[in-house]
Amino acid sequence: MNGSILLESAGTLIIPASPKERGKLCMGETEAVFINRRGTELLQLNYTDIDRLKNVRNGGISSTITVTLKDGSAFDLQLDRGLAAYEFLFKHWPSRPREPKSRADEYRRLAELRGERIQKPRRANEKQYRNCRIAALVIALLLLIFDSELIQNLFGFTLTSGFMVAINILIIALILVLLAFSFKRRKPNRSIGGDMGIYIMLILVACLMAFPLVFAISSSLKPLDELFRFPPTLFPRHATFDNFSDLLVTMGQSWVPFSRYLLNTVIITFVGTAGHLLIASMAAFVLAKYDFPGGKTFFAVVTTCLMFSGYVTGIPNYVIMSKLGMIDTYWALVLPAFAAPIGLFMMKQFMESLPTALIEAAHIDGAGEFRIFWSIVMPNVKPAWLTIIIFSVQGLWNNSAATVIYSEAKKTLVYALQQIQAGGIARTGQAAAVTVVVMSVPIVIFILSESQILETMASSGIKD
Amino acid sequence: MQTKTLAGKYLRIKQRKLSYSFSKAKRMRVCYLFLAPYAILFFTFFILPMCTSIYYSFTSYNILEKPRFVGLKNYINLILQDEVFLTAVKNTFVIAVITGPVGYLLSFMFAWFINELPKWVRAVAVVVFYAPSVAANAFSIFSVIFRGDAYGYLNSILLDLGLIDAPILWLLNPQYIMTVLIIVILWMSMGTGFLSFVAGFQGIDKSMYEAGYVDGIRNRWQELYHITLPSMKPVLLFGAIMSITTAFNVSDVPRALAGYPSTDYAARTVVTHLFDYGFSRFEMGYASAIAVFLFMVMILCKKAITNGLSKVGT
Repeated sequence: MNGSILLESAGTLIIPASPKERGKLCMGETEAVFINRRGTELLQLNYTDIDRLKNVRNGGISSTITVTLKDGSAFDLQLDRGLAAYEFLFKHWPSRPREPKSRADEYRRLAELRGERIQKPRRANEKQYRNCRIAALVIALLLLIFDSELIQNLFGFTLTSGFMVAINILIIALILVLLAFSFKRRKPNRSIGGDMGIYIMLILVACLMAFPLVFAISSSLKPLDELFRFPPTLFPRHATFDNFSDLLVTMGQSWVPFSRYLLNTVIITFVGTAGHLLIASMAAFVLAKYDFPGGKTFFAVVTTCLMFSGYVTGIPNYVIMSKLGMIDTYWALVLPAFAAPIGLFMMKQFMESLPTALIEAAHIDGAGEFRIFWSIVMPNVKPAWLTIIIFSVQGLWNNSAATVIYSEAKKTLVYALQQIQAGGIARTGQAAAVTVVVMSVPIVIFILSESQILETMASSGIKD
Repeated sequence: MQTKTLAGKYLRIKQRKLSYSFSKAKRMRVCYLFLAPYAILFFTFFILPMCTSIYYSFTSYNILEKPRFVGLKNYINLILQDEVFLTAVKNTFVIAVITGPVGYLLSFMFAWFINELPKWVRAVAVVVFYAPSVAANAFSIFSVIFRGDAYGYLNSILLDLGLIDAPILWLLNPQYIMTVLIIVILWMSMGTGFLSFVAGFQGIDKSMYEAGYVDGIRNRWQELYHITLPSMKPVLLFGAIMSITTAFNVSDVPRALAGYPSTDYAARTVVTHLFDYGFSRFEMGYASAIAVFLFMVMILCKKAITNGLSKVGT
């Protein structure tokens, strides 16, 4: 192969009427080569020979690419980094179509041939965008000139100017809407009025949703005298981290060293999540990819159990745990977390979109089930890992475990923090700091893994 | 023996099927091996508790003594004598009927609106809407907002605007407790269902919309009804199940905000009632009867929703 390899992707090559071959596709500047396990070059694909490319996404990042050559022959490639590979091939394909044809384009072409008149989707012209942009700028300038109070308000308004604040928020919303309009390419079937209404509503509701969280954070930054000021302020005038440092001091005075609570929570969260990930994925793998007696029934039962919260089964669970001698050990928290139905459910739905041919090909190569699970399936479902991890961490981190753990040395961080929070008026500031500390961990994990979680949730549907 | 009759034929087929599935099970034993760790834990901590709940619900049991069989007494007491339970059922029902469907519709609506935003705005918006339910303890801040004295945020706004002349005890006055709870629960209702809606919208084939435009769809509502809803049916079902689950299992919010027990039991829900009998009074038999009642109601609801949603967009 000439030139350097720019992209590699492992997968399966399927040529009609010949056995499947597992190997990897190495892509260079002008051509791609498929090399099988034994290092033989099976296929040399010159990009100029490609007539058509089709990509079917299998879920995750794997997909099936169908390549049709100019001489009429065709073959399929099932690649584990299929999306990247497809985009690479498409980019380097010299005779690629300028715009991919959609069903609607095809329909329009046919209708034109029949001589019907077709109404093209309405699109706003460039002038409209520019006018929107200018309008937004003018309003913003006017606002700055006439409402110098705005800046001051943003950093510490009191309720006496509450009405002004509401007006300001509305004006800012309007500016944002106009700006959004000036950049967005208009879609068909959308009226401008409707879009405008939706944007304003979204901004207002988003403010309402965020308000308690913002209030919690700003309360934790207020010094004690501002916490009890009348009327209460939204933003602290003299922001301080005293509440957090006081929290550290209080922690240092507790009977059980605070690091112990932290260690407990870390152990419980880590072991619970790791075990849940492994056990639920193993079960999800066979439920999604093999048809065996009892599998479907089992999954239906799990789906029903999605509906019951921990409290409902709490009582008999307590009895069972005490029979098993697990009360007052970490196991009482960790083992039920291993079997949480939501993790299995998400994992199974996501694994269903994995190509079965990938597994069959590995079977032919003589890989055992565990090998397939560990080195083919698991690396391909990484988005689902993150989803399982966030659900599990969320559950375990917030678990104060008051009913199943008695010894002080085994209590969790959240439990200890709640004790501080319950300390009355003098601890108001620290209580706010506790709220912020406890809520920030799941939110940060969610922000970091958002895109992968959404990818998994796309396959969360239940077919009836 | 000749089996010429229809029944005989049926039996033979059935037999063959059974032996087939048995041999299949034998061949697929590695599958059971994979399933076993999960299945054992799941059975121990989810199925077994449910079965024992049903058993305990027919007994009188206080953990220390052996369970004593009392027949249907628990259920009869529950329905005929326990007035607090009826309050709890009423409250749970009100919360479920309001926050379930409204929360569901709100999640769907906002997921739909968010879907049309540019990518990075969408990412921020998802965090803003989902944060209240992922930060599980954040609702405790509402106890400051709805505080009963003049330092409470809401009270001071209303005093400031002159709408009230004395602070209102939002969380202690039975007249207001339910409204406050419903607001807080709605605030937290953009949960797992919301996430799966957002993802579901992104998974719809874009060319369907263009085709729909050519076929004569003229506004966003038609587009929603004829294209979007039918392609999202499985996700809609999942969201609905998640939303009944949260609506029926409300217990942390009333306990943290309205106190436990709340004034006049005004914030009592079925799950807090169960918690009271199970973990404070140790009347396990009675608490189990409440749990069984809740199982039944939720399974019925799931059935109703599955039937209802199968008619969407057809």
